[in-house]
Formats: sequence, C-alpha cells, structure tokens
Amino acid sequence: MGVTCVSQMPVAEGKSVQQTVELLTRKLEMLGAEKQGTFCVDCETYHTAAATLGSQGRLSLAGQAGKLMYVMHNSEYPLSCFALFENGPCLIADTNFDVLMVKLKGFFQSAKASKIETRGTRYQYCDFLVKVGTVAMGPSARGISVEVEYGPCVVASDCWSLLLEFLQSFLGSHTPAAPAVFGNRHDGVYGPADTMVQYMELFNKIRKQQQVPVAGIR
Amino acid sequence: MADVLSVGVNLEAFAQAINAIQALRSSVSRVFDCLKDGMRNKETLEGREKAFIAQFQDNLHSVNRDLNELERLSNLVGKPSENHPLHNSGLLSLDPVQDKTPLYSQLLQAYKWSNKLQYHAGLASGLLNQQSLKRSANQMGVSAKRRPKSQPTTLVLPPQYVDDVISRIDRMFPEMSIHLSRPNGTSAMLLVTLGKVLKVIVVMRSLFIDRTIVKGYNENVYTEGGKLDIWSKSSFQVFQKVTDHATTALLHYQLPQMPDVVVRSFMTWLRSYIKLFQAPCQRCGKFLQDGLPPTWRDFRTLEAFHDTCRQ
Repeated sequence: MGVTCVSQMPVAEGKSVQQTVELLTRKLEMLGAEKQGTFCVDCETYHTAAATLGSQGRLSLAGQAGKLMYVMHNSEYPLSCFALFENGPCLIADTNFDVLMVKLKGFFQSAKASKIETRGTRYQYCDFLVKVGTVAMGPSARGISVEVEYGPCVVASDCWSLLLEFLQSFLGSHTPAAPAVFGNRHDGVYGPADTMVQYMELFNKIRKQQQVPVAGIR
Repeated sequence: MADVLSVGVNLEAFAQAINAIQALRSSVSRVFDCLKDGMRNKETLEGREKAFIAQFQDNLHSVNRDLNELERLSNLVGKPSENHPLHNSGLLSLDPVQDKTPLYSQLLQAYKWSNKLQYHAGLASGLLNQQSLKRSANQMGVSAKRRPKSQPTTLVLPPQYVDDVISRIDRMFPEMSIHLSRPNGTSAMLLVTLGKVLKVIVVMRSLFIDRTIVKGYNENVYTEGGKLDIWSKSSFQVFQKVTDHATTALLHYQLPQMPDVVVRSFMTWLRSYIKLFQAPCQRCGKFLQDGLPPTWRDFRTLEAFHDTCRQ
C-alpha cells in the first residue's frame, strides 16, 4: 500500500455531480491515464448503546448515546473489514466481522439511514492509482471523492510534494491541503488504516454539509 | 581439464574396464548369434540338440565371466570428485549430445578466455601506469610504491576478504544496511536496504558487481521458497527505471585493479537515492515528468535529474 490522499472535489458551478465527475475523468484520460475497473468504499455507523433507557440513539443525541463506531469496506481489500472510532484505533478484520456486529446488537446499534458509500472508476497513470467516485447516501448523490495513491512510496512525509504536483495537474485550483494523518505518522510506514481514516473524515464532512439546509427547514 | 578429474579415479582400471565392456558386448552378441544360427547339422536329433545346448551354455558362461570381470574393475575405478569447481554448471558435462549442444566445452572456453583477458588487462595496466601521461609527480610516486607488490588475481578472492569489504561498507552509511548471503555457490548476493525507500539486490562475482535489481521497500524480494529472488522485476515503473540506471552505474564505475573502491563508489552513488521522492529535478525544477520523479543521479555530483532532463 502506497501513500494515499483522499480529498473532496467541490461540484462545479451550475453543473450536476455527474457532469463534474465526467469533466474530471476526461481530464485524467487526456493526461494519459488508463481505466482499470471500478471501486467502492462504504461506511456504516454504529454507536455504543447506553445503559440508560430512552436513548434510542438518534444522531442529534450523539453526545448522550456514546461513541460512534464506523465499519467500512474497501473494494481494494475485498477480504477485509475496517472498524474505527473517531480518534481511536482502527481494527482491520476479515469479512466475518459484519456477522459479528449482528451478534453484538446489544452493545452496538446501527444508526438509522447512516450508510454512505462512494462508487466510481479506477484509473492508472504510471505509478499513480486515481479513483474518482460519487459519494451517495441512499439514492441521492452528495458529493465527489478523489483518491490518489502513489504505490512506490510508503513514507508519507517523503512524497507529499510529489503528490501535490500530480494533484495540481488535474484538479487545478481544488487541490487539497496535506491530510491530517500525514502529520501524525512522521516517519512511519503508511498503511490502509490511514486511508480509511481519511475516508471517514470525508464522509463525516459530507454528512454535515447536507444537514444544514435540513435543519433550516425544520 | 585434467584438474577436473581428481585422484579418486584410477585411470588404469578405467581403461581395463572399457576393454571389459567391449568383451562383454562381444560375448552377448555371440549368444544371440548362436540362437539365430540354430542347431548344426548332425546325424541324430539328440546329437544336434546336445551340441546346441553345449554351445549355448558356453556362451552364457563367457557372458557371466565378462560381467564379473567388469564388476570387479568398476569397483576399482572409484568415484569422480563431488565438488565441481564450476558447481552446478559442471553437471552440463554429463550431457551426452555433445554435437548439437556443446554447452560445457563452450562454457569452459568462455571462462578460460575471460580469465586470460583479466590477466592480460592487469599486465597491460601495470605497464601503462609506468608511462604516466599526467604531469603531477605525486601519482608516479604512489604507483611506484604499489607496483613491487604482486597483485593477487582479483577474480579468485577468498570469500572472507569479500565479507570483510562488504561489512566495512555496511558500517560506512547509517541509513544503508547490507546483508550478504551465498545461496548459490561462492558468488555473494547482497540485499541492500536504503532507509524506507528501496531495496537493491546485488549479484556479485568475487568482488565485481555483476547485476543489480532495484525494488520498492514494500515489495517482496524473496521467492516462495524463501530464497532471494534475483530475477523478477519491480512492479513499479519508477523502480524499473532506477534498475536501468543502476546497471548503467555499474558499467560506469570500473577499476579492475581496485575492485573494493568500485564497490564503495557504487554504494555511495546508490545512497543518493534516499531522497528519491523528495528531491526535485535540478534542471527543470519539477518533481514529475511523465509521472516519474527524478530518477537519474549524476555520477560525479550525485544531483537528481529526470531521465529526459539529464545532459
């Protein structure tokens, strides 16, 4: 697993999510990238069931309902399942973990309508693996995720400048800042858990983005 | 060729054994001839049968005798020595089809030729160093001191010496670690790990570098059997490019009389790759060119350039 940067691409002015994705993929193909199949990253939220009655654990009562746990899957690692807490450790387990979660219903309850996923195409350019996906919650598309992985390098701090130059070549002005995980792992070897943490942060950001207009209506 | 057969083989007995094989072959063919000819013409049927049986028995006895003689001689001949000087390639001499695939004789000729070449090159360089074209007097003084010492032929160095040189180089640089192993005979195989950037497999022939393969830090350098994999290329284009540059480097750093200096310079050049992903190209200032970082390191100044940017 090489160093990976996950970022969000804002939807272009006056265009839909679909059209922006198409713009991006066309730019990538002009650069010389080759299409290599599809990918999918999804995330389900659980929260620890509190001992007291009445806390059914709606998202608005998140403070009372205990810590949130995210269970994620990544098509790049089809036989694995990732479970992580917000600022806590990340567990990499095999796919039987989902079945285990069903058995642990007493301790972990699934939040309603919490499943969020991103689906899209993979592109390979030299040693870079680029994944452009549409983030969707249920049937509605909420945003665009862009993931770039540089296979040869495993130390995050080494190749950030290189990654940045590549990102600029096709994202232009929407190039993100260095992800927080890069700062944490100073000279350590990068791992898939760090990628999942970045996805979790991205999904949370997208979830918060759409909640604001809903609250206003109420 | 005489030194391939060692003392264990008794040449006398060998020649006698070959004769015994010929005798055995002729007695066996006599048996079959007798059977083919059948019974001779005699007066009575019994006479014919008796004569035939007597002749048949005689022939079988002679076959038995010859076979015993051959067994006795083969025990005297003894086994050829087990340790081939060419190790596994010595087994090529067992190939019976010499006309179509004369691999073994060609291999021996190639070895002899390259050894002679090495020897002559050493003599020539010694003679040429006497007639120095450089103006500084210091060079002359240094080589005059070194010349009286007869240089050992650098192709046949004791493995201990090679180990010592490598371990000294290993201690030179803190971020580079060299691990030496000899899985295939006397040629050393080094696994050089440079920080967390890359791994290099170096195949050597005594103290000369033969081949290098550069792979990523997270790539697997061992085969399924646990041995060092010296053939498969890296799966990343950047490391395939660096492998090509490393091959160019080992052709560039050449000094037949002082191979340890060559290995040292090669390792110094290799060490400059610790900043493979961090250093921008000195000519164009960018990090990426066609998706590759600056993979070329100048041989003298160790500066980073893109492959297409180098002068």
